[in-house]
Amino acid sequence: MSRPPEDRNNELRALFFESANELLQSLNEAGLELEARPADEEVIRRVRRCVHTLKGDSAACGFHKLSELAHELEDVLTPQIAQSRMGDLAEVVLAAADSFAAMLAAYQRRLEPPAMEELHSMIRKMLEVPASLEAVAPAEAQLPARFAWTEYEQLMISEAVHRGESVYNIALRIDPNSLMRAAAFQLIRNVLHGSGTVIALRPEDNLAAATVEIVEAALASTQSVEKLSQRCRIPSIVSDVRIEHAATADSAEHELLGDLLEAQAAKVVAGATEPAENGVASKAANAGSAATTVAESTLRVDATRIDAVMNLVGELIIGKSMLNRSLTEFDKRHSHDPVRAKLADAMAFQARILDELHKCVLKIRMVPVEQLFRRFPRVVRDVAKQCGKDVALEVSGQNTDLDKGILDSLAEPLMHLVRNAVDHGIEAADERLVAGKPARGTVYLNAYHQGTQVVIEVRDDGHGIDLAALRARAVEKGVIKPDEAQRISEQDTLNLVFESGLSTASEITEVSGRGIGMDVVRTVMDRLKGTVQVSSQRGRGTSFQLRAPLTLASIQTLLFRVGGRLFAVPLSSVVEITRIAHQEIHQVDKREVLRLRDQILTLVRLEHLSKLRSIETQPAKKKSFVIVIGAAEKRFGLLVDTLVGEEELVIKALPTEIVSSDLVSGASILGDGTVVLILNVPAILSRLSRATPLGAIA
Amino acid sequence: MKQFAALLRKDNQPVRYLVVDDSVFARKNLIKMIEMFGGEVAGEAGDGLTAIAEFNRIKPDIVLMDITMPQMEGIEAVERIVRQHGDARIVMVSSVGYQENILAALQKGAKHFVQKPVKPEVLYEILRYVLSDDPNAVNAPVALAGEHHS
Repeated sequence: MSRPPEDRNNELRALFFESANELLQSLNEAGLELEARPADEEVIRRVRRCVHTLKGDSAACGFHKLSELAHELEDVLTPQIAQSRMGDLAEVVLAAADSFAAMLAAYQRRLEPPAMEELHSMIRKMLEVPASLEAVAPAEAQLPARFAWTEYEQLMISEAVHRGESVYNIALRIDPNSLMRAAAFQLIRNVLHGSGTVIALRPEDNLAAATVEIVEAALASTQSVEKLSQRCRIPSIVSDVRIEHAATADSAEHELLGDLLEAQAAKVVAGATEPAENGVASKAANAGSAATTVAESTLRVDATRIDAVMNLVGELIIGKSMLNRSLTEFDKRHSHDPVRAKLADAMAFQARILDELHKCVLKIRMVPVEQLFRRFPRVVRDVAKQCGKDVALEVSGQNTDLDKGILDSLAEPLMHLVRNAVDHGIEAADERLVAGKPARGTVYLNAYHQGTQVVIEVRDDGHGIDLAALRARAVEKGVIKPDEAQRISEQDTLNLVFESGLSTASEITEVSGRGIGMDVVRTVMDRLKGTVQVSSQRGRGTSFQLRAPLTLASIQTLLFRVGGRLFAVPLSSVVEITRIAHQEIHQVDKREVLRLRDQILTLVRLEHLSKLRSIETQPAKKKSFVIVIGAAEKRFGLLVDTLVGEEELVIKALPTEIVSSDLVSGASILGDGTVVLILNVPAILSRLSRATPLGAIA
Repeated sequence: MKQFAALLRKDNQPVRYLVVDDSVFARKNLIKMIEMFGGEVAGEAGDGLTAIAEFNRIKPDIVLMDITMPQMEGIEAVERIVRQHGDARIVMVSSVGYQENILAALQKGAKHFVQKPVKPEVLYEILRYVLSDDPNAVNAPVALAGEHHS
């Protein structure tokens, strides 16, 4: 199996850009942390690791300008510079992240990358050591060594330490007067190899050594530090030596083990918050976020391949229910056949495996919204800085899993909402103080599962939406007529924000005036068969709720019949099933209600809601089944003719052209070929609340 | 002229040198320095082939080897000597323009290199470093020599 090299190159390129973007994301995060804790050496190390990897990767792909810039940046990423420059270094790192992004974009379009003069000069400025530092700096500061070994090398080091060998980190400065650097490097190499086992060496080859001043190595050796130091002071070659013990067995192992534990913990946290839905696990998740990102990069698979597997599993599930039906039939005909039990056993076994398989495949497609959320701290910081505001971002529920495809589609609307919240939602600090609020505004990002939907909330504690201004603008733009403006309800007014061309911002700023309007948010959500809701309180803030379905997912449902048709509701939204006599149904306010254990429950008849014509007329029965369905805190009872049973359904999302009603969220096919419509519980609820005054739904 | 403390072997005998260079003047120049360091020039050679023969005959503690020479280049001589005598201490002597050759010689087992024009203080430090490599190796040539003759 050989592929044309071009193909392979393209694949490598794609891989590079993907991982580079991930690196940039980490760099942004680390940069922000550096801003908060300028002297934290661990953070600096993290920044340096990102830059270092980016340098290596880009050099390997032939993107030399990027690699050189990264190399320059690497030089200033030392605790000494961070300490002497405090906040400035973070600024450089963030600026570098932007520059790298711009260069990557250029490379991706196969253009010449822009010259990053500004960044160059920023970096150079950092290198100008302030006089005060020179006096304070200890001797080793003259020999800045990074010892940024790769994971593999670190593993080798810790293994060597484990075997009882002494491992040293050695840094050598090639004599600046040496005219033959490659030869000098070769000699250093010889000496190192003669003194022990070289585990890691930077630079890696003679060619690179021509431009390098400092050689770094990890060496396992039986020789003493004094002896090594003497060996390493090669006359006319090495001008400066620094030798230190590499991480001892304890710390090296601890680090590796720590990483593993962290990853484990993150998994536990993820698992624990999933069912808890709207978990306030943000703090814990924050700690685990680094580990999650590590886990993310383990394997890259084309999403379409997973989709293919997913579809096949869907077909298998349908096949399973076909088999089940056949078995039931067989059961009826040959109830005493001993083969029956064997078949049933085999079926049960197969069903269990299939179930596992299905869950596994689903999990592959699901990614935590963290992947999306993590880009926002930087966005909020930048936008806030541009508008001269002080805005914090609080994130919760980032472990909520979501289909990768949906997640990607949500990125743009969410970005818009967050930018908007900072730019237009949050007031300037003095204005906030006058209003009795803390000077620092807050934007909240939250995600949670609700039934078969995922909800992502963007909330701010700003001044809320000015309804009057919005109405006036809508009239001005001709979206509504002046007389309509008088009658329009509050909620409908709020919904006007999604009309194209409407903005209450008094001025178009650089930040939000990017041609993407709120109408785009709605367009995307419509395409996803999701919804977007807005609520706002004057002076208190605005909240947007994006709801997206978990498509392609299969769900456990309860099947029932109404008017001879088969329907299903997600089992997760079923609270209980009860049987009632007809005389228990009361009429209140033109609505049928039921009193169930001291609670008033609105009853819903599907045939009323959807003007469904009965295809069979049912003889009036004395008793009916009521499925009590709940979503959030709301409950209602669904009157059904017969219950059919539980069934796992693979949801096939229906195109909007086919389904005119939003009451149905999808359809599925049973083993015998029957089509089942799956009810959209939130839609039914909202239909109810629109038609009834508050309070009718207990 | 600057005074140098004598470089001696572990057994306090003078260090024995083999000087290899096709230029008589260069050889004389090096020999003068060796004598300043308290060393003994055990042999001289003007090409690689002779150098190998001389090495086998006198078993010097240190070889100072030029790179470009007629008949057999320094690199090949280094390779052949080191193949037979793994602990041979060979210091390459060369002009700056021959980095590639020095690299090759180092890869073949040369211990160090010194740039022409050779400065005595630089050569002294290099010799001291090369002689100090392995405490056991300082006496080795003597032992080896005995073995070889038996």
